Amino acid sequence: MIQRDDQGRKRARAAPWLLLGPGMLFLFLFFFFPLYTLLEMSLSASPSRFASPVFTWEWANYSEALTQYGEQFSRSFLYATLATLAALAIAYPLAYVIAFRGGRYKNVLLGMVIVPFFTNFLIRTLAWKTIVGDQGMVVDMLRTVGILGEHESLLRRPIAVIGGLTYNFLPFMVLPIYVSLEKIDTRLVDAARDLYSTTWRAFRKIVFPLSLPGVFAGSLLVFIPAAGDFVNAYYLGSTKTTMIGNVVQNQFLVQVDYPVAAALSFVFMAIVMVIVAVYSKLLGTEDIA
Amino acid sequence: MTDRQAMIRTEALRLARMAGTPRWSRRQFLGRSAALLGVAAVGPAILAACGSDESSGGSGKSVTVSNWVDYMAPKSPKAFTDGTGIELKYKEDINDNNEYFAKVKPNLSKGESIGTDAFVLTDWMANRMINQVKWVQQLDDAKFPNKANMRVTLQKPPFDPTRAYSAPWQSGLTGIAYNIKETGKEIRTLDEFLAIEGSTTVLAEMRDTVGIFMLATGADPSVPTHADSLPAFDKLQKAIDDGSIGGTNGNEYVNDLASGNLAAAFAWSGDVAQISRDNADVRFMIPESGGMLWSDNLMIPSTSEKPGLASEFINFFYDPVNAAVLTNYIQYIAPVDGVEDELIKMGGSAAKLVDDPLVVPTAELLANVKIFGGLDEEEEVQFDEHFANITGTG
Repeated sequence: MIQRDDQGRKRARAAPWLLLGPGMLFLFLFFFFPLYTLLEMSLSASPSRFASPVFTWEWANYSEALTQYGEQFSRSFLYATLATLAALAIAYPLAYVIAFRGGRYKNVLLGMVIVPFFTNFLIRTLAWKTIVGDQGMVVDMLRTVGILGEHESLLRRPIAVIGGLTYNFLPFMVLPIYVSLEKIDTRLVDAARDLYSTTWRAFRKIVFPLSLPGVFAGSLLVFIPAAGDFVNAYYLGSTKTTMIGNVVQNQFLVQVDYPVAAALSFVFMAIVMVIVAVYSKLLGTEDIA
Repeated sequence: MTDRQAMIRTEALRLARMAGTPRWSRRQFLGRSAALLGVAAVGPAILAACGSDESSGGSGKSVTVSNWVDYMAPKSPKAFTDGTGIELKYKEDINDNNEYFAKVKPNLSKGESIGTDAFVLTDWMANRMINQVKWVQQLDDAKFPNKANMRVTLQKPPFDPTRAYSAPWQSGLTGIAYNIKETGKEIRTLDEFLAIEGSTTVLAEMRDTVGIFMLATGADPSVPTHADSLPAFDKLQKAIDDGSIGGTNGNEYVNDLASGNLAAAFAWSGDVAQISRDNADVRFMIPESGGMLWSDNLMIPSTSEKPGLASEFINFFYDPVNAAVLTNYIQYIAPVDGVEDELIKMGGSAAKLVDDPLVVPTAELLANVKIFGGLDEEEEVQFDEHFANITGTG
C-alpha cells in the first residue's frame, strides 16, 4: 500500500517534466541552439570577405552595430510606435463594437478581421502599394482636394510605411482586445448606471481598465514584429525610410558581413526586451510581463 | 485586495499567457526557420541522391538548371528535351545575385551539393565564383561545340579569359526608362533624369547605378577604383538627399513604370522591351554620357556531378536557331552569332526585332556602353559600404 503510494507520488512528480519534455526539447533544438550560434556569430570575425567567420570575442561588431545604425534603430522604433498607436485607435472601437454590439454577427465580424490573413503577407503589402500608388484612389483624392501637390506621392514616404505596418498587423491588436472586452461582465456597467454614472464615465472607470490586459497583449503583438519588419520599408518606402530589418538584410545578403548582422540582431532583441519591460511596468502589469 | 482587484488580477494573469504569445510565436518562427534550414541543407543531398547518374544514359538523363525569372521561352525546355533526349528540370530561383550567393554559400563552401547543375549569374558575381571563392568547375568543351558561335566581343572577359568556366546566357544594357506621359518630354541625359518632377528610382544593384553616375562624372567604370568614383557617389548622394531620386528598386520598377507610379527609373533593356510592347509610353535610352553593358553567365557549380549534361544544355542554346527563339521571347541581347538571320527567317514580329537597337545593338550604341570592371575584395567592400550608406542601409 505504502509502496504504491510512493510510486504514485513519484509518478505525479515526474508528470510535469514528462509533459514539458517535448516542448523543452523543441525549444532547445530550434530556439536556444540557433540563438547560441547567432551569439557566437556576433562575436566572430572573418579573415576575408568570403571566408567563414571565426569566433574571436570580436566586440567591435557590437560597437559598429551600436554606433553606425542609430538612425535606423530609432526610425524602426518610432515607426513601430506610431503603427501600434494607429492600430490601437482603429482596433479598440472595432473590438468594442464586435464585443458589445455584435450580437449574432459576432463570429462573422471576427471572421472578417481575420480574412485578410488568408492572403500572403507579401501580397498584402504589395496590395497596399497599389492602394497608395500614384494612380490609386487615395492619392487621386488627396491631389484633388489639394493636400498633395500634382507631383507628390504617398509612396516612398514614412506615412506609407507606417500605414503598411498598421494594416499588416491590425488583426493582432483587434483579437486580444476583443477577448478581454468580451469577458467583461456587463452587469458592472449596469451597476455603474444605477449609481448615476454617465456612459463615458462607466467606460473610463470600468470597461477600459478591465480591457487593459488586451491592450497590453495587442500592443506587444503589433509593436515587436513591426519594429523588426523590413518588407514594408522595402516595398513602400525609400532610402530615407529604411528600418533596422533592412540593414540586417543588407549586411547578410549584400555585404556578406554575418557577424555585424548577428550583432545587430542581438542589439535589436535587447532593446525590444527593455522596451517591453518598461512598458509592462508602466501599464501596471509587471506580474505578467 | 478587493474582489474587483482580484478579478482584474486573474483576468490579467490569464491574458498574460496571451501577452506571452508574441515571444512564443517568435520562438516558433525561429524554430521553424531552423527546421526549414535543416531541410534546405538536407534537401539538396536527397535531390542529388535521387538524380540519376550521368553515365546511366538513355531516358534517365536529366539536368537541373537555375535561372532568373522570365529568362526562358515557354517552348524551349521541351525543344531541348526533344532535341537532346535530356530531361530538364528548370528552376526560376534566382532573383538577385547577392541573395543567390547567400543562399548557396553554406553548401558550396563545404563542398556540398546545391541540387542544381548550372546557375546563371552576372559578370561581377561570375568573377567572385570563378576567381575569389572558386565554387565552379570548367565547362566540358567537347560537349559544347557551339561555343564557336559565341560573339567575339564576349569571348575574353577579364574574369574568364578563355571562357573555360562560363558562357553568357544573355547580355543587356542598363540605362534609363521613362514614361513619357509622366515626364512630358524625352529624356536624354542623367541631369534631365534628375530634374524630372515625378517619382524616380535607381537600381539597387550597385554596379548598374554607380556605373552610370561614374560615366556622367567622367570616371571610367571599366577600370573602377573607389577614389575615382567619389564624385559619382557625391552626385548620387546629393540627388537622394534633395529628393531628385525617390529610392532604389529591383525588378519592381517594371510594373511601377507601366502603371505610372514612377515617372522614370534606371532600368534593364530587356524588361523595357517587354513592357513597351504593351505600353508605347514607356521608353528606354542610354544617357549621352554612357550606359552599362552586362552579361549573365551560365556556370557549373563545383559540386555538380553532371558537367557534361550542363554543357550540352548551354550548347543547345548556342545553336542560333534555338537562341533566336529565346531572343524573340525575352528580348535581351543574344550572345550568339547568327541570331539576326534566324530572327529574319522567323518573320513577323520576330523579324522586326532586328531593327530594335536594344535587341540588336548598333555599333554606335555599343561604343557608348561600358562593362563594370573587376573589383578586388577590399575595393568591393568600399564600394558596397559606400552604396549602402547612401541608400539608407549603411
